[in-house]
Amino acid sequence: MIFNYLKIGFKILYRQRGYSLLNIIGLSLGIAVFVFIYLYVQSEFRYDRHWKDDDRIYRISTEYNINDQRELVALTPFILSNSINSHLEGVESVTKIFFSDPSDVNDMSTLIYNDIVYEVPDITLGDSNVFRIFNFDFIEGNAYSALEKPNSIVISSDVAAMIFGEESALGKKIKTHIREYTVTGVFEKKGKPTHLFFDAIVSVNSLNEERLGAMTHDWFWMSCYTYVKLKENIDGGNFEYDLNEYTNAQIQNFIEQSEVSIRGVTKFSLESIKDVHFNTSLLYDNPENVDKLYLLVFGIIAAFILLTASINYVNLATARSLKRAKEIGVFKVLGAIKRQLAFQYISESLILTTLAFIIALSLVEILMPQFNILVDKNLTLVGSLFSSDGIVFGLLLIFLIFTLSIISGYFPVFVLAYLQPANVLKGNRILISKHGETRFTTAGLRKFLVTTQYIVAISMIISTVIIYQQMMFLKSYDLGFNSKNVMVINLPQDTAFRDRANDFFEDITNNDDVLMSAVAGNIPGYTTGRMMYYVNDSNNIKTLSVFLVGSNFFKLLEIPLMEGSFFVERPNDDSSLVYIVNKAALDTLGERNLVGKNLIGSTGTSGEVIGVVRDFQFSSLYNGINPLVIMFSDTRTRYLLLKLKDGCQQDIMKHINGVWNKYNRTQYLHYTYLDDKLASLYKGDYKMLSLFIYFSIFVIFIASLGLYGLSSFLIEQRTKELGIRKVLGGSAKSILLLLAKDYLKLVLIAGVIASPIVYFLMSRWLNTFAISTQLNVWIFIFSIALVLLIALLTVYIRARKVIKERPSRSINFE
Amino acid sequence: MIITNGLTKVFKSEGVETLALKEVSLKVNQGDFIAIMGPSGCGKTTLLNLLGLIDEPTAGKYFYFGQDVYTLSERQKTELRKQNIGFVFQNFNLIDDLTVYENIELPLIYLGWKKKARNERVAEVINNMELDHRQKLFPMQLSGGQQQRVAVARAIVAKPPLLLADEPTGNLDSLHGEEVMSILGRLNNEGTTIIMVTHSQSDAAYSRKIVHLFDGQIINENIIKGS
Repeated sequence: MIFNYLKIGFKILYRQRGYSLLNIIGLSLGIAVFVFIYLYVQSEFRYDRHWKDDDRIYRISTEYNINDQRELVALTPFILSNSINSHLEGVESVTKIFFSDPSDVNDMSTLIYNDIVYEVPDITLGDSNVFRIFNFDFIEGNAYSALEKPNSIVISSDVAAMIFGEESALGKKIKTHIREYTVTGVFEKKGKPTHLFFDAIVSVNSLNEERLGAMTHDWFWMSCYTYVKLKENIDGGNFEYDLNEYTNAQIQNFIEQSEVSIRGVTKFSLESIKDVHFNTSLLYDNPENVDKLYLLVFGIIAAFILLTASINYVNLATARSLKRAKEIGVFKVLGAIKRQLAFQYISESLILTTLAFIIALSLVEILMPQFNILVDKNLTLVGSLFSSDGIVFGLLLIFLIFTLSIISGYFPVFVLAYLQPANVLKGNRILISKHGETRFTTAGLRKFLVTTQYIVAISMIISTVIIYQQMMFLKSYDLGFNSKNVMVINLPQDTAFRDRANDFFEDITNNDDVLMSAVAGNIPGYTTGRMMYYVNDSNNIKTLSVFLVGSNFFKLLEIPLMEGSFFVERPNDDSSLVYIVNKAALDTLGERNLVGKNLIGSTGTSGEVIGVVRDFQFSSLYNGINPLVIMFSDTRTRYLLLKLKDGCQQDIMKHINGVWNKYNRTQYLHYTYLDDKLASLYKGDYKMLSLFIYFSIFVIFIASLGLYGLSSFLIEQRTKELGIRKVLGGSAKSILLLLAKDYLKLVLIAGVIASPIVYFLMSRWLNTFAISTQLNVWIFIFSIALVLLIALLTVYIRARKVIKERPSRSINFE
Repeated sequence: MIITNGLTKVFKSEGVETLALKEVSLKVNQGDFIAIMGPSGCGKTTLLNLLGLIDEPTAGKYFYFGQDVYTLSERQKTELRKQNIGFVFQNFNLIDDLTVYENIELPLIYLGWKKKARNERVAEVINNMELDHRQKLFPMQLSGGQQQRVAVARAIVAKPPLLLADEPTGNLDSLHGEEVMSILGRLNNEGTTIIMVTHSQSDAAYSRKIVHLFDGQIINENIIKGS
């Protein structure tokens, strides 16, 4: 019996293959987009959910306000964890992990074993409690004691496999360019997303007091992340209160003892480890963190795409099957009872829905590599289905298949069996008030659904245009320096490099394509450190960002001098400090003229300001231009900047590789173009732009499909009327407008509703940038007009046949 | 006024060809009242649709006041139709969602008449057709005869020289049928050329000439005595 239903079902679907195809495409695209967004959002919510006792683990962030300069940072002072450990109750464990810029790779990121150099991008420092708080699975070694001794290193299983292959790593000696370490543990890293991005971690006590210097007792020197695991039943809020009470006293002590006068308030906040990934408000935090609002928006879009695709599917299916009223009559005459009819129709839609799901999941599987590139993730459909929360996902899909099949299959039977089909067909054409009749009508609901679909579609399109405009704005924004054709080479950090540095620089610049070179410890686009400074005759101490650069830096980047002079090369024995500041620093320090004055650091260092440069955008455009002090140094360098001739990129690499290998045999060459580095600051935004472009296309397609289905209803029921109007002289244009005007009205209403919502959300997004484009009313008008045009076109595609048909056919249509 | 030469219409459906009209040649003079009669399926309505420019022939020519109409574009045909031809159908073909007044006004809107002129003309026709008290009602609230009076009113509102009627009394009882036919007779007397398809001998009696169709061909044409 069931086989028979399916056989007839297949035959009917084949006979109506145009319609079947359209409906399957719509539904499968909707499901595919839903699954993609679901997997993406799900992967974001998996961050840091796997730690044991995760509800007791917190990261501490810092809000400090020094002389009216307020900053929120993910980093904390080095001293914080020691203070917590020795002075506060309720703590099970506390640890610190050092900050390292994940995007800045140099030879500090290499490990050497048996004279072979291995690249390990993320090596950091941490104390012995790291693995007491974070229960990484240890394959070798003892997690609790692994980082207790100096010169210990714990590596991930990937790194262990890369360096030691099948051999055991434990106890092996590996080197960096600075010192030798003993491997004391190997942890498993795979498949568990976390904001902790290290591949290897070195015991912090490997660094001696001298190297750590003032960092160990300075409450305003933010150097590391602090994590705390509270004892059971300890309230985070209470602990935070106790923490601040204790540290406030300590900080006041520190201020009193220091030589400079600081008006400073520091507040430490606890955030649950589960929320860290969603915090985008802090400086020096993981750049992969995402705002929950965006995930919420994506989630709503996904749910909506699925809902509309499903509704459209049911709409199209019922519009189509209501045409089969006669067929139902024939089935009835042949003796089919209502239940059999229902089974027949449901089997048809079950075939269709299942096909759509199979196509959707295949699409997801096929397009997954592209999607992974787009969102910079490593998602798999199978991996997700077989994960702990995969069962929910699987059940949801099965539930959907059956619900959609039953609704779209049973609805026409229900309508034709219980209600007068003609009445239902009329839908929104029934003018209840004029006739005083009450009839079954679904028109209001359908209009509501169409409007909602268009609210989403218009919102997506406006947002996409705004994001695009902002990205173009950032691209064309004058940063105050020229980053074109500037190559940045990460210099070796081994102590011996200094001896060969001059020969290396000489050789590498000895090429016609190299126009100029400069060394620097900091360059625009990379994370910079901050320090407190004041002018010698004032007590106005301020936090300034710090750059260390060599003599040609400003000339190479074409940063103009406002007053004073640039740095010049100095004899090696001249160790006096000289500074150049930017205009913003002048303003922050409240000075009109700084040239010739001494700038004193909170650590006691002092140097003369010799020049003031025009402000330049040295960090991302999320931040404005901060006050900056630039210190001369041609020895403490991390980068070599080369200004290259236009169009020589291909040829110059051979030269650079040759020189690099001559001088740095055990180091990998890491280089980038400054333009690329600066663009990478907005990687997340470009990702969002791509996602929005794709989603907009899908949403508008699905909304159009819905409109197509709905206008099918309308046209089916009004074919005869359209014929009469044509006989009476109605033109094609007047008939198209007659059909489309109701929907165009709905699109306009949707536009009016969408605009303020988008305005609110996009203003919020634009506000995350220090510099942003203006929200122009034309973007809104353009987007709504575009959607109106698409809607009109959609109705036209459906109505074209009726419009072009000879009226003699339409007026005889019943 | 109208001359057709060898009008032929073949319907194709799923590969099967049906000959509906075969080389029909007809001459209609201004002021004529012609009844087209014949058994069901003989091609009466097809001929009327071709004359009304709401269908295309497979072959043949159609001259309207000397103009070869099948050489015109679709838009030109629409123009010609809305200015020159009125239609009355067996099943009235009124638009359910428009009132009596709006239904009658529709052709004038499509002709681009100004609001004031429309109001005057519609009022005049409504008055002529004695529909004054029903102009705000919807078609479904009227009797069959009243609906057909509305249909006739709509057909003549733009003062077309030619009126095509497809079994105008087919859905009406004899009393209402009589009423509609006397209106058509009056219109003809006032100068409107009428071509009417009918099964009814008594309706045909109102015409001046009867054309008999059989299997898509004209088999004879009778002039009614006394007309």
